[in-house]
This record gives sequence, C-alpha cells and structure tokens, in this order.
Amino acid sequence: MKLAVFVHEYREPEILDRLKAEKFGIILVQNGVYHATLKKNGQTSPLLSKEAEFYALSEDLASRGLSDDKVDPKVKVVNYEGLVDLIFNDYEKILWL
Amino acid sequence: MGKLTIGTFSSLVGSLSLDFAVKLAEAAVKKGHEVDFWLSGNATMLGKKNQSKFRDYSYLLGTIEELLKTGKFQITLCEACGKARGIHKEDIIEGMNIYSMDWYLASMYNADRVIHIGGE
Amino acid sequence: MAVKKYAFIIEKLPYKSETSRLALTHAIASQTVEIHLEEGESVEPVIAFVGDGVLNCLKDQKALDMYGVTSQEMHIKNALLLDLKVLVCKEDLEKYGLTEDDIIMDAEEIGGEVTTEIVPFSEIMNVIETADQVLFF
Repeated sequence: MKLAVFVHEYREPEILDRLKAEKFGIILVQNGVYHATLKKNGQTSPLLSKEAEFYALSEDLASRGLSDDKVDPKVKVVNYEGLVDLIFNDYEKILWL
Repeated sequence: MGKLTIGTFSSLVGSLSLDFAVKLAEAAVKKGHEVDFWLSGNATMLGKKNQSKFRDYSYLLGTIEELLKTGKFQITLCEACGKARGIHKEDIIEGMNIYSMDWYLASMYNADRVIHIGGE
Repeated sequence: MAVKKYAFIIEKLPYKSETSRLALTHAIASQTVEIHLEEGESVEPVIAFVGDGVLNCLKDQKALDMYGVTSQEMHIKNALLLDLKVLVCKEDLEKYGLTEDDIIMDAEEIGGEVTTEIVPFSEIMNVIETADQVLFF
C-alpha cells in the first residue's frame, strides 16, 4: 500500500507510529509545517526521524513566516498543485490525521 | 485525469481546514481533475448565501462560484447537518446541492482518490 | 456485483466534538447508498475504534438524558442491528484497563445479531490496507 498522511498540528498524531505501508508519505500542512523547520531545544522534530518521505506545503510555511531555506533537507516543499500530483501519482490512500 | 472526492467537517470560521480543502480542490480542477466536495458538520456553513467578506475570516465563496463554472466541480451539503444549523435549500448558493450522507459515500465509489478531513 | 469496502477509523473522543458521531452516521448511511449507484453496486462499511476512540464504546451512556442527543451507544447498536462490522482495538482497550464487560458488544435488546469484535491493531491495519476507501475520524 502507498499511504500518505497529513499532519496538520505541531504535535505527533498518536496513530502515526502504528501505521505501516510499503511507501509512506508524511505531508506537513497547517501547523504541521513547524515540524519541518523548528528546532526545539536544538533538536529537530522527532517526527522527521520516521521512515517516510516528507513534504511540506509552501503556502502554509510562508503564511507562518517560515522561509523555505529553514526547511530540513529531508522535507520537500510543494505547493497545492504539487500536492495534487503527489495525491494522484505517488500515493493510493490518504489519511488526514 | 482522475476524480478526487474531498469531504470536510471543519468550519469556515474558526478553522483553516476548509480553506485548505477548497484550495486543494481548486488546484486539482486546474490540473484537469474532477472534484466532488462534501460539506458535513460545521463545514455546511460554507454553503450559506449572503456571507460578508471580512479580512479576519476566510471567505471562500468566490472560489466556489468560480469552480462551479468549470463543470468539473460538484459541491454538496449534508442535509441534516445543514438543517440543524438553520441552513435549508433556499439558504444555499446556486449550484450547490443538498443531499443526505449517502451522496458522499456514493461519490467515493468511483473516486480515484478520497481525502476526508474529519473535523477538529 | 461490485461491493466496495469503506473503512471508518474512529480515533476521536465522543461528545465534545461531532466527529465520532458523524463517523457512525456516515457509516450507517451506507444502507441507502444504492439509490445513487448503478445496479449491483454497493458499499460494505467497516467501523474500527482505535486509540482514544475506543471510549466511544463504553456502556451505559446517558447522553440522551444529559444533552438531549442520541448517544454513541445507540448509534453503535444501530450499526450492529444493521449487521455492520464493528471492530475495537484490543491493545487500546487494554491501555485503559477495559474489557468486553465495559463496552457495547451487542445490540440484542433491539434485535441485533452481529457482535462487536475486539481485535489486535494489526487486524485494523489490514482493514486499512484492503479497504477501497479509508476515512479517518
């Protein structure tokens, strides 16, 4: 299964570690984009240590004053159109956690 | 080109999840996909006519009206959720449907992708 | 005859928000979906409670008396009455010290025949994997 999940808050969804998929994507949107940029007490978000492909929505980064150059290199920045392509081409099931 | 069904329960005012869902629908239609959009729970307020545009609140009706013109976008409001909030057929914008929950399930039947944004 | 399986995965707590209620009412709406579909097409819902969502399944809910609204208990019993598959995550029940004595296991008093199934999360993951559509509440 190719599964992508949306993370929209700056906390880790409880179910995240329990989900299993051959291809797993984590799409950071809304307050989820802080995972991509912030270093809390010098540490990157533990969420970024998961085995997954990471994406963050550029519009949500920009609206929060977070520039793309602060985004962790593991995370690919996409816009809404890029997100549509991910949804149709790269993943089969999508969950909003 | 595919079909995307988006369902959302989040409110127009007080949350930006509906804003996200409408922008995603807009991008999908722009790329040539068809979009079915289901409004349930607090999201039903998106359908209400005569919304005023204030800078402190999301205003999505303009985008919805443009999307409806494309012929690739259908939007339906949950009848029970709407009525419980005082939103009846005569209160909703032209081009929007009002049906029971089975419409959403039927829309998913032949959808290539489904994104369900299940409330706050 | 094409039957498509929809998974309704419920993680939210009941009552404070409408989310878990809408999960059940949408799942139950599968009973009338055929009016919108072609002949021979239908939908088979599977409801699965995970995480905090298992607390929707506690017995003796008095929401009708307290809030004047149908309880989640009644919705779950209606789902069972309609022969919908209802799964509850075993590990999450254990986490809260709950057993099958604490949760709604059947709808016998209204004539329901199927019962709630307590299953390991791996089985719920399998439902997510095999379902045609997955909705997370």
